Amino acid sequence: MNHVSTSVTALFAVLLVAMILSLALEEKIHAKKSVIVGWFAATALFLAAAFGLVRPETVMILGHPVTLPVYIPGIDWEVIAIILGSSLFVDVTSKCGLFTWIAIKLTKASRGDPLKLLVYYGVMTVVFSAVLNNVTAMIIVGALSGVSLAKLRRTNQLLGFLLIEALLTNVGGLLTLISSVPNIIIGNAAGITFVTFFIKSGPYVVVATAVTIYMGARLFGIEALKDDAAKAEAQSLVAGFDENDGIESAGFFRFGTIMTGLFIIAMASASITPYIKELGMGFVALTFAVIMLTRYKATADRFYQAIDWDLLAFFGCLFIVVNMMEHALVLELIGEGLKPIIGLGETVGAGVLLVASAVASSVTDNIPLAAMLAKILGGLGLASDSPFWWAVIFGANLGGNITPIGSASTLVAVTIIHKYKLPLSFAGFVKVAFPFAVMQLVLAAGYVLVVL
Amino acid sequence: MTKIDQFESVFKSADKAVYTYDRPTFERVLLVTDLNDADAADIASRVRSFLTVVDDAGTQWNTLSGDDFSSVRSLLEDIEERKPDLIVTYRHLHSEAWRWPHSLGEYLDVMTQATSVPVLVLPHPDADRGLPHSIKDTDRVMAITNHLTGDNRLVNMAVRFTEPGGTCWLTHVESETVFERYMDAISKIPAIDTDVARESLAAQLLKEPRDFIAACRAEIDAQGLPVDIEEVVVMGRRVDEYGDLVAKREIDLLVLHTKDDDQLAMHGAAYVLAVELRGIPLLML
Repeated sequence: MNHVSTSVTALFAVLLVAMILSLALEEKIHAKKSVIVGWFAATALFLAAAFGLVRPETVMILGHPVTLPVYIPGIDWEVIAIILGSSLFVDVTSKCGLFTWIAIKLTKASRGDPLKLLVYYGVMTVVFSAVLNNVTAMIIVGALSGVSLAKLRRTNQLLGFLLIEALLTNVGGLLTLISSVPNIIIGNAAGITFVTFFIKSGPYVVVATAVTIYMGARLFGIEALKDDAAKAEAQSLVAGFDENDGIESAGFFRFGTIMTGLFIIAMASASITPYIKELGMGFVALTFAVIMLTRYKATADRFYQAIDWDLLAFFGCLFIVVNMMEHALVLELIGEGLKPIIGLGETVGAGVLLVASAVASSVTDNIPLAAMLAKILGGLGLASDSPFWWAVIFGANLGGNITPIGSASTLVAVTIIHKYKLPLSFAGFVKVAFPFAVMQLVLAAGYVLVVL
Repeated sequence: MTKIDQFESVFKSADKAVYTYDRPTFERVLLVTDLNDADAADIASRVRSFLTVVDDAGTQWNTLSGDDFSSVRSLLEDIEERKPDLIVTYRHLHSEAWRWPHSLGEYLDVMTQATSVPVLVLPHPDADRGLPHSIKDTDRVMAITNHLTGDNRLVNMAVRFTEPGGTCWLTHVESETVFERYMDAISKIPAIDTDVARESLAAQLLKEPRDFIAACRAEIDAQGLPVDIEEVVVMGRRVDEYGDLVAKREIDLLVLHTKDDDQLAMHGAAYVLAVELRGIPLLML
């Protein structure tokens, strides 16, 4: 690596801070993440070239020398492949009606009882967040909450339902390695397998979910129906929901269900399955997406149009920025800053890192944070079972619950809340969510420090 | 937002109208005629044999003949006093206007709107316009509307008037004229794909009544009622379509709504039907 002057490192550090601030002010700037980070990626690349920090490298691929532009190897293509494949797979699979079928089945199983509905929707949010992604889970459960509570004439409880569901998306996002992007980035960097991740995070998710639902029911006064007449009326109101309405064909429904099960199994076993382990989880996700797309082979382009290109471009550009920061020794500088925290030891140090990650994630995107910390912690040569990895994972995910801009799923919840013209300001969200976030973070800190 | 709306649409579509069968009872039936007592008694006998399906052991049959009322007010007072569950009458009471089939007559017009009692309208006894199968039995009954979904009362009445072993057609005619007017507006909005909108909107408009009819059929089967439910869900130009449907199936009794919550007069399509379909009895709710 070339010598990098302190002033160049400082310049890049300013660039990084400016990018993080811009992302935090995304709503005010009225610009998509990909455009914001794209500008910073282009600037960082140009400056890095100008200061001689990077130059094209020739690498040997299958025995052939290939010269790659510096921004190509800087991107973590495995992460991009997992996100692209999973998004496509989930999008196509949702057309089979499986997720809406489950949602409506649970609604009917609640018999319209508000407390049961809250428990069922809460658990469903967690599971959907784990299997799909936070945003899709919030959209499905939030949309259903709006429709079912209107049907039950309980729109006065909708705000409580939506807030609890929003807070649970980030808890569910902790359940598996592919449940959220920080998990994928950190898990990949740390070398944590799908199964290990699930076993270690599962108990926390169960406890945090139960406590969140309990606190939510108490705070918003969501109680079980007591008299028989109210129970009978509520049951008759939800009886009209037809879980089969969204199923285009029984065959595709069965196929989608089986494929969802196989997808989870394949992802879980990717690190130990012969041949697959060399290709990685990105291959698994993309392959399952292609299999599902066969159902819509003539109109597959519709699904390509629906891909969140903003998100993918954002990741690509972000990896470039982080890579340039590495070349400019900014990450080394941050790493130096983190050393005192890490020096506090695996107990106190991990706890401090967890809280710091959560606070940082609450005001800006948790993905840049995860990407940077993955690089920094990776550079320290930590073992895959180090609590520092888990501190970042828990902090980055749960920090999103402190403010409405802390995660994409809480933003979706706020969008639904405003769609129903329910009163909730930024401060109002923080006021309600803060006790939940504190509880979840305290539980997480205890879990990471004592159990993991 | 688009995806939120998409999933909301999925769940709203899955939220279907529930049908429950509540058997309508007719403890008091009132025949209103403008005839003398003897002719009124003759009509009453025909009506009773025509309506055996609703003639329970305790049903009281009363008749108002021509001399019993001389104004709309006195007729309404009589109805108020007798509190019938069903009124049976015909068009143009105390009037010669039945010769010109362009209206219902003031008595029937007011009766259908000023009372909440179902009114069964027979072909006029003097007009000789009744179809050959008219006023014989009720084994072919049709409920007809432009908004069937969730209309339990209409279905319950139609099923109740269908003789055991008979067929009840549940008919939904979506107005093609209104549909085309909206499609014309949509075709001028660049943000909406006209072909997709036409296909999706037509499919959804017809799906809802079909789903409701399926729910009705399931409930009627579950109740063990000996009535076959047939489905007619079409896009049409209402009155023409209704006339064709009735004629092709040799319907014995047509059941329809006449009241409109938003206006005092009978709603448009019902009035046209009540005026034009003079060959068979109509049950006007």
